[in-house]
Amino acid sequence: MAMSMGAARRGKPKIRPPKRPTANTPIKDTWAKLANAIREIQNHNASKLSYEEHYRYAYNMVLYKDGDQLYNGVKALVAEHLDRLAEENIVPTFPRSGGTRGAGKLGGGAEAIERAMEGDRFLKAVKAAWEDHTGSMRKIKDVLRYMDKGYSAAMNLPLIYDVGLTLFVSHIIRSTTHPIHTHLISTLLSQVQLEREGETITRSTVRECTDILMRLRTPEREGGKTVYVADFEPEFLRRSAEFYKLEAVDMLETGNAAQYLRNVERRLAEETDRTVHYLSTNTHPALQEILVANLLTPHLQTILDMPGSGLSTMVDSDRIPDLRRLYTLFLRVPDDVGKTRLRGGLRTDIEARGKAVNAGNVDRSEAGPSTLGQDDGDAEDDPKGKGKAKATASPAANALSSALRWVQDVLDLKDKFDSILEKAFQGDKQVQVSINEAFQSFINANPRAPEYLSLFIDENLKKGTKAKSDDEIESALEKTIVLFRFLHDKDKFERYYKNHLARRLLYGRSASDDSEREMVAKLKSEMGFQFTQKLEGMFTDMRVSTESANSFRNYNTRHGALPFDLNVNVLTASYWPQPIVATTTCTFSAVLQPAMETFQKYYDSRHSGRRLTWQGNLGTADVKVRFRNRSHDLNLSTHALVVLLLFEDVKSGESISYPEIKSATDLPDADLARTLQSLACAKFRVLTKIPKGRDINPSDRFEFNEAFTSPLARIKIMQVASKVETVKEREETQEMVDEERKHQVEACIVRVMKDRKQMTHNDLISEVAHQLAARFTPSMPLIKKRIEGLIDREYLERTSDMGSYRYLA
Amino acid sequence: MAPPQAGEEYVVLESIDGYTFVVPHAVACESGTLRSMLDEDAAFEESKNKYCKIQQRGVILLKVIEYLAYKHQYKEFNAEDIKEDFSDRIDPYIALELLTAADFLEA
Repeated sequence: MAMSMGAARRGKPKIRPPKRPTANTPIKDTWAKLANAIREIQNHNASKLSYEEHYRYAYNMVLYKDGDQLYNGVKALVAEHLDRLAEENIVPTFPRSGGTRGAGKLGGGAEAIERAMEGDRFLKAVKAAWEDHTGSMRKIKDVLRYMDKGYSAAMNLPLIYDVGLTLFVSHIIRSTTHPIHTHLISTLLSQVQLEREGETITRSTVRECTDILMRLRTPEREGGKTVYVADFEPEFLRRSAEFYKLEAVDMLETGNAAQYLRNVERRLAEETDRTVHYLSTNTHPALQEILVANLLTPHLQTILDMPGSGLSTMVDSDRIPDLRRLYTLFLRVPDDVGKTRLRGGLRTDIEARGKAVNAGNVDRSEAGPSTLGQDDGDAEDDPKGKGKAKATASPAANALSSALRWVQDVLDLKDKFDSILEKAFQGDKQVQVSINEAFQSFINANPRAPEYLSLFIDENLKKGTKAKSDDEIESALEKTIVLFRFLHDKDKFERYYKNHLARRLLYGRSASDDSEREMVAKLKSEMGFQFTQKLEGMFTDMRVSTESANSFRNYNTRHGALPFDLNVNVLTASYWPQPIVATTTCTFSAVLQPAMETFQKYYDSRHSGRRLTWQGNLGTADVKVRFRNRSHDLNLSTHALVVLLLFEDVKSGESISYPEIKSATDLPDADLARTLQSLACAKFRVLTKIPKGRDINPSDRFEFNEAFTSPLARIKIMQVASKVETVKEREETQEMVDEERKHQVEACIVRVMKDRKQMTHNDLISEVAHQLAARFTPSMPLIKKRIEGLIDREYLERTSDMGSYRYLA
Repeated sequence: MAPPQAGEEYVVLESIDGYTFVVPHAVACESGTLRSMLDEDAAFEESKNKYCKIQQRGVILLKVIEYLAYKHQYKEFNAEDIKEDFSDRIDPYIALELLTAADFLEA
């Protein structure tokens, strides 16, 4: 203290002793007066008292070493007062029915309201007692300031105000004479319970009481926690758990997942609100945990699988808000269990849908308008389907449309789940992985997926199928790339794609060169340079052929003009798919021979050491044909031209037999049959088949149809090309793919072994499988067989312990 | 003591030998005991009347008030910035009596 220090520093010993405080009143009287004053304070009569006087009494008592008596005396007075408060104010307001112990319903209607009111009244009484007590304690504390400073602190005793709080706990909250504790806790619980059941309670009263409990601490020996934490919270949490356990069962019985989740969400929000408004925010995490543990964790699968409202139904009807709710709630389940279940559920659901798509029995009405245009397109696109009766679509057209529909269905499904993922699952990466896995599994479950996918792309890149904008095509291709990623047998896809591309290029049916190149670029970025090398080679061939066409025309003019225009596409055999460049025999008509020879000469003059093989199967020809009524310009395939030229010298009414045609043209049966079909059985019948019918038989005869009429001057006779593979063709393709795979596996084994020199069997197999995974999934027996093959051919040898292989250079 | 100004709250302190001092409320409240005494919430007699009888001689009470004013003036200061030392102003003759008064009044 500044003054005393100052005095001490001066040090001049002229200090007079202070006048001793007048202790003229004996201690007993002092205490009597003080006790009286405290009672007055407790009776709210403080304003009649002189603070100075009573402060001085307490001061004197402490100074004359009577702090002990003062401290304990006050304590006793406060305790006495509290007992009186309990007796007079709290006990009469006890709720009639006492505490409810169970978690069961408290009954509704008037009774519930009655109970709410009773509880409220009781809690208000407790609250009033608290306020009365704390009010008087504050004043007592003021008067006994000197005691707190000079006695309590020195003796290491709690300050008088804190003593008051402790006494409140022992004499009111945990009173031994009255069951206040039981009533208080159970009333608080039943107030909460009533609110959970939809009754209105006075939140402020509950808030005030929980505040009191939070202010008070239990005695040191019980850990000194707040009474709220020690007495109320555990009981509250237990009751909450019971309540929600029952509610979960009740709600599940109603059998509506969406509604159930809505309820859970509402409950979570309600309990948050509750903890904020009249419980402790510290209770919040524990309470939310209980809700999740009782409402969600045990019932995840039940919710997902709930018939008529579970995950499938939500996905079916695109109920984004429900799905979003499902996702956010499932995320709350600890240890990622919820998400794992959701992912599992999604996978099962997608696989089931995929199975339906694969089986081709998707409910079309549900798939939306995007597929309607598709069906129209198919009909227009197929000349054969139109040529015959419209009602009976040809099997080929059916197969094509089912292929396109399959891809479209998969794309629709993908779109659907993409949008769900985006909108409802916040683009969750893990969920995305599961969705992708599911797609992968069902797409690869369809053995024809690579073919279908390529057909779909073909459909989009083809000229004149539908009026599609570049953007539409672009987005369609973008989507197919996504499906392409899911494919395991990428080499199979490459084969189909090459076929389809070759046809588009040679028939000049590509809608746009840009789109074609873009698609190839996309494939390239997916699969790397090797994958598209041949595809790009095909483009190059086409470009070079167009360029050389000009120079050939110049060559022609110099060397005497040909009787007709000749346009030759020179194809590099190794780039183009096998069936196209495979050598097919064909005897070209004498009319055509000179032109071919001219080109041969021209080509040899340009390049040396190259061998030209003439392929008529993918060429087209424009020819003017005179019929009885008028002449028409026909655009037909080179083979068709060769066949048609046979009829040039045949008199009207005469016919040529199939064997005659065959020997004259030397075409293979399959090609010849197709060619004749397109001339005699399709939409424009320039030949007449005898007898009539759809299929070509060796016994058939053909004559020129002079009576042919058509309003069109220019007629395009398309080769009846089977678009979707027949079973036999597919087997062939599979064989070719298998053959190629053998080579690839061998190449890969050699590559690996060349690098490592020596490797164990298992390492080698896993390395090869890994390297090839991008193109296809090689089977174990296949790799083993190839290894054996290489050993036979002495590329590899077994080491002496038989477990490893060694590379032989 | 500064003369009373309008708008400021004042209280009266009376010494045992009958001297009265009119002191700004804020200055009086520098003493813990006086602050409790004048606490309006507790509403003791003194806070109602703004009139406190202090059981000290006038000369002591004067010094106490002087110190309270000094404490109030330098309330916001750091200890090293205070140039004036209050101990210079204390007459040794009353030092001990002042000490007990300080203890009583929590000054």
